[in-house]
Amino acid sequence: MRSLTTLTPDRSEQLHRFGLDKQNEGTLGRLLATGNVAQAEEGPDGRMSATIRIVPDQLVWDPSVLVLPHGGELDIEFLNDDQNTHCALVPSNGDSQWVWLPNYTRGTVHVVLDGPGYYWFSSNVGNDEGRGLIGAIVVMGDVPASARLDRPPQPRP
Amino acid sequence: MTTIEYRPAPPAVNFGSLTTATGNAPPVAQDVTYERILDARSEPQNWLTYYGTYDGQRYSPLDEINRENVARLLPAWVFSFAPHGLHAGQSTYAFENCPIVVDGVMYVSGWDGWVWALDAKTGQLLWQYKHAIPFDTSLCCGNVNRGVAVADGKVFVCTLNAHVLALDATTGSLVWDVTSGDVRAGESLTVAPLVVKDRVVVGSSGGEFGVRGHLDAYDVGTGERVWRCYTIPKPGEPGSETWPAEGEAWARGGGNCWITGTFDQETNLLYWGTGNPAPDFDGEIRPGANLHTDSVIAVDADTGEIRWHYQCTPHDLWDYDSNMECILFEQDGRKLLAHFDKNGYCFVLDRTNGERVRIFPFVDRITWGEISPDGAVTPRIYPDKEGEEVHFYPGPAGAKEWTHAAYSPETGLFYVPVQDTGARVARRRREFKESIPYWGAAVIVDAEDMAGSVSAFDPATGQEVWRWRNDLPMCASVLATGGGLVFAGTPAGQFVALDARSGEMLWQFNCGSGHHSSPSTYSIDGKQYIAVPVGWGAWVEGFLPGMMGGPHGQAMFVFSLPEGVESAGGR
Repeated sequence: MRSLTTLTPDRSEQLHRFGLDKQNEGTLGRLLATGNVAQAEEGPDGRMSATIRIVPDQLVWDPSVLVLPHGGELDIEFLNDDQNTHCALVPSNGDSQWVWLPNYTRGTVHVVLDGPGYYWFSSNVGNDEGRGLIGAIVVMGDVPASARLDRPPQPRP
Repeated sequence: MTTIEYRPAPPAVNFGSLTTATGNAPPVAQDVTYERILDARSEPQNWLTYYGTYDGQRYSPLDEINRENVARLLPAWVFSFAPHGLHAGQSTYAFENCPIVVDGVMYVSGWDGWVWALDAKTGQLLWQYKHAIPFDTSLCCGNVNRGVAVADGKVFVCTLNAHVLALDATTGSLVWDVTSGDVRAGESLTVAPLVVKDRVVVGSSGGEFGVRGHLDAYDVGTGERVWRCYTIPKPGEPGSETWPAEGEAWARGGGNCWITGTFDQETNLLYWGTGNPAPDFDGEIRPGANLHTDSVIAVDADTGEIRWHYQCTPHDLWDYDSNMECILFEQDGRKLLAHFDKNGYCFVLDRTNGERVRIFPFVDRITWGEISPDGAVTPRIYPDKEGEEVHFYPGPAGAKEWTHAAYSPETGLFYVPVQDTGARVARRRREFKESIPYWGAAVIVDAEDMAGSVSAFDPATGQEVWRWRNDLPMCASVLATGGGLVFAGTPAGQFVALDARSGEMLWQFNCGSGHHSSPSTYSIDGKQYIAVPVGWGAWVEGFLPGMMGGPHGQAMFVFSLPEGVESAGGR
């Protein structure tokens, strides 16, 4: 039996072959989380930043998976390269942040996220989400030592 | 390729600013002190703490709504809220809250990090707080939160990613935030905090993932941890002899404290229930009694030390957590507590020392084993041989789930939501891996041949006084009032009022979604209200798989008498 990690080494090719990495080909929209992966930049003070674009006619965030090295503060500049109006709803401690993204606009949101774990963000109008405009913010790292269990290190999957 | 000349997008906003929230609540919480919570029964217009009072009785002396007029009860307002975007446990979120009310302001927590302040008279949203919850948080039993605590001008709430927060009670803004558990280990927090003195006490969740359960106290003002009490002893500590000497079974032993405890100022003890051992059903991994799992523990409120314990299901093989409430009451001059356990028995203990006073069954079908009146436990049916399926009652959700019983000092009776459901379990050994479910079994809970009730018991004898029968198991907390009423919600959505002396149903209202929460009551300007969060979900596959398809809901229903109905006998 093959393990999941070796099941589809050619995943990108397979998605392309079935037309799942674009709009209205294999299926109606674009399969979620099939876009690019990128890492946020980290400033000297630990504050992170990233740029995320909406690709014309593809209803996909680029990157659609944004990786953070740790939890904390993050500035995201969104650029809408598409010829339609969208928006961004991004989770954040305290309240989610929401920004209109009319055609050819740029806007910045500031969010605070705990780590580790990952969060979905989306354009929550029409069915942008179903067509592909759901992305992930992945926060890596560990909880503080003070929050860990008093026990020997345990095996992980 | 054409270069795009971008225009600035409109500024980003808080999503909550796009609601009718006013943004501010009256500063009623700044005067909520430990002393007021101690004496909470003297101000029945409020519901100041999770159980209403420290004794866990879930009883209010309010009597404007009573046996004579309850048939006229009508909805006063509804607060409804729906999720946005994808969130953790999209299929399992539920509204398990118990609303706290302080001088006309209701403080409510929901699934997925939501906290709301509402005008308790009108339902107007005053402020909201949303903590971002990772989508991939380990959740054994759904995306839920059971409530907040209010004191010192703050609202305290736990998050699913194991943070403890203090919010400004007037604005909902964050005051402090501490990480209390390790999400990589499978820990989470679902408990409603309990403020005692200048500490806020919380217990961890994660027993199905093989964590080591703990209870923590944090400073109300700063969030600094004052003490931590592990429920599973390390090698060499008292109780460690009940775990295998070799290996690390203790380090994965469970015993989590995911339901709020009760407190007695005179004994200075917190009475807290602990959860199942891990793995739940594979006892061969952990020979011994496995202290302090499935126990009532009495914890020194100042130091976090366990003063005494009583284990309800030694060496559990059925997932019989003992997290459920310990209701404090007095009888014949003795300071007692009553604990209705998942295993189908009620334990009445002397709360000064843990001495057993009385044990009696409170559900019809108990086949897993037997507990004699003198406390001897005899297991009869349990998963043993690998892959060999056994069937037993009660199933893993227990004869009573975490949802709470009530005690009326007026009638002297306990009112218990009862589940009579079995399950099939086959032991299936698995290797422990951090954050992966660690049950050690294949489990299917019955979706047929089940029953439920609200049953009234006399604690002096253990005798059932009356029973209000329901076709489905009863999976929500009950509320007793000075109006001679017991309120309870059904899985089908009915919210019912029963006569506290006879069990006769006097009123019902269909709320449109099943109940899995804890109603409370309060009054404003002399007018009594009954509040019940409605929203089916959570661990439905465990406690009522016959309702897996039941509609989710997310609404706070509040009821009152229409104008013109007299409280003294109605008209």
